[in-house]
Amino acid sequence: MMPTSPAKRPRPLSPNIQIYRPQLTSVLSIANRISGVVLSLGAVVLVIWLLAAAAGPEAYAVVQGALASWLGQVVLFGCTFAFFLHLCGGIRHLVWDMGYGYELSLIYASGWAVVAGSVALTVLAWIASLLLGD
Amino acid sequence: MIIGSSDQVPRTTLLKRFPVPRNLGVGPESRIGRGKTWSAPAGAVRVKAFEIYRYDPDSDGNPRLDTFEVDLDDCGPMVLDALIWIKNKVDPALTFRRSCREGICGSCAMTMDGTNWLACTRFISDMAAPATVYPLANMRIIKDLVPDLTHVFAQYAMIEPWLQTRTPEPERERPQSPEERSRLDGYYECILCFCCTSGCPSHWWNGDRFLGPAALLQAYRWLADSRDEATGERLDILEDPFRLYRCHTILNCTRTCPKGLNPGKAIAEIKKMVLERRT
Amino acid sequence: MDRQHMRSPLARAMGLGSAKKGVEHWWAERVLAVALIPLTLWFVASIIAQTGSDHATFITWLRMPVTTIMMVLLLVALFHHTALGLQVVIEDYRHAGSKFAALVIMRLTCFGLATAGIIAVLHIAFGG
Ligand code: HEM
Ligand code: SF4
Ligand code: SF4
Ligand code: FES
Repeated sequence: MMPTSPAKRPRPLSPNIQIYRPQLTSVLSIANRISGVVLSLGAVVLVIWLLAAAAGPEAYAVVQGALASWLGQVVLFGCTFAFFLHLCGGIRHLVWDMGYGYELSLIYASGWAVVAGSVALTVLAWIASLLLGD
Repeated sequence: MIIGSSDQVPRTTLLKRFPVPRNLGVGPESRIGRGKTWSAPAGAVRVKAFEIYRYDPDSDGNPRLDTFEVDLDDCGPMVLDALIWIKNKVDPALTFRRSCREGICGSCAMTMDGTNWLACTRFISDMAAPATVYPLANMRIIKDLVPDLTHVFAQYAMIEPWLQTRTPEPERERPQSPEERSRLDGYYECILCFCCTSGCPSHWWNGDRFLGPAALLQAYRWLADSRDEATGERLDILEDPFRLYRCHTILNCTRTCPKGLNPGKAIAEIKKMVLERRT
Repeated sequence: MDRQHMRSPLARAMGLGSAKKGVEHWWAERVLAVALIPLTLWFVASIIAQTGSDHATFITWLRMPVTTIMMVLLLVALFHHTALGLQVVIEDYRHAGSKFAALVIMRLTCFGLATAGIIAVLHIAFGG
């Protein structure tokens, strides 16, 4: 093997994420991770909301008001999309973990199904919520 | 677009690269500078530009990106042909590995247009304009397109890729039924090109401890061998939060394997075996 | 170069050796994920049904035994799953000392939030 003298400068590392093409595989994987982290932050909101409800009507009204605001609605919409993306992606992961669905065509088909399914479910959930909200 | 086999090159791409800074997490020695442009010979009609990663260990310079204009009418159909054409006709210093030129030795693995494949089985006509050619992603580079594979081969050695037995040597061969033999299909064909390991984001971030898809597929090849008698010891070596469980089923490995193998599935089978012996 | 330099490639690849564990973490993450499918779907459906309801209605809903039980189960499964998931994320991107600090903070935060949420639900359910 080639001896390298310690005095020599380190070999360069060839680029990885800087040049590697985003593919459905890697994009959905990072999407599942980001949605998991977003949901973790959403879980903080959930606890604040429960604590406010336990504290009484005034505190609850403040939190409800914040959630009904323009910004609050954007946050809730983001959490809904993150939820459905992570749910669909998570089910896809569970099927893989059982050992199924590894043919490349199935990887792609299930990947696009996750994209379509999570968008559709998010829209449906908000339509239902808006209809019931009046 | 549904990709049905790993050799498919997508016609359209939404994103050519991840929207991250060019020098994200890149050490000073790895920054890539602008290189030279080598024009096509006079009179060339069909010309294609190749942007190629260069690194000369004997100079003090950093890696750079050279542009070569290749005369397609004077050159074979594969990316490896273009590299050989450049070496013969333009810059004899261009350095790369190749041997079989038919996709069986695994020497010419590199990152072309952002995905890993063998230069000898990638058609020039499938390449973007300009075509980009980098050495295998996330490797220490010896020169130009030649990566240092010492570490990934050490990871391969770690899984002890040989038949291990306790039963005394039989008089004749160790028998295996056709059905048992068929369980090695899809795994024994691996040519150790490391396209998969080099394309695995988890190996990018934790390659010092995560074994990566190539070594893990090979590990499964021995776990699946009916003649092997070291299953438990093999699983002991593998069961580790980093060595095995850093695989997050991203499946870049399966997408890129130039032999059409499925490292992602092999890893899932290992995880199932580890679970099975515990429950 | 550092003290790693003279070690053989194999010694470097072997590192500190196999932990011979990891399956428990992986398995718990999947079991909790399975539990979370019905729990979160029930929760989202209920919240949509509750859109625009006032404090009194909300409290009445939370006091129903089924709701109380489902909410406590949800909080337990959700924060356990989150703690296991975030541990993997931190281990992926943080190395050396900052990893341990991040892991401790993350663990304690998840534990604290889960406890706070459960106490809030129980307070509403059983409080005067
Ligand atoms: C709705 C049902 C859910 C299912 C089926 C599910 C499933 C999964 C699965 C299978 C993983 C592992 C993915 C991998 O190996 O990369 C995972 C990771 C994770 N989940 Fe969930 N999950 C659910 C809900 C949640 C919720 C509500 C949260 C947060 C409050 C959450 C937070 C996380 C985090 C932070 C990770 C780690 C992400 C990563 O390692 O990339 N999950 N989930
Ligand atoms: S499936 Fe596992 S080994 Fe393959 S690219 Fe993904 S993380 Fe890497
Ligand atoms: S599994 Fe495929 S990509 Fe990976 S080393 Fe083997 S042949 Fe190459
Ligand atoms: S030269 Fe052997 S695989 Fe390309």
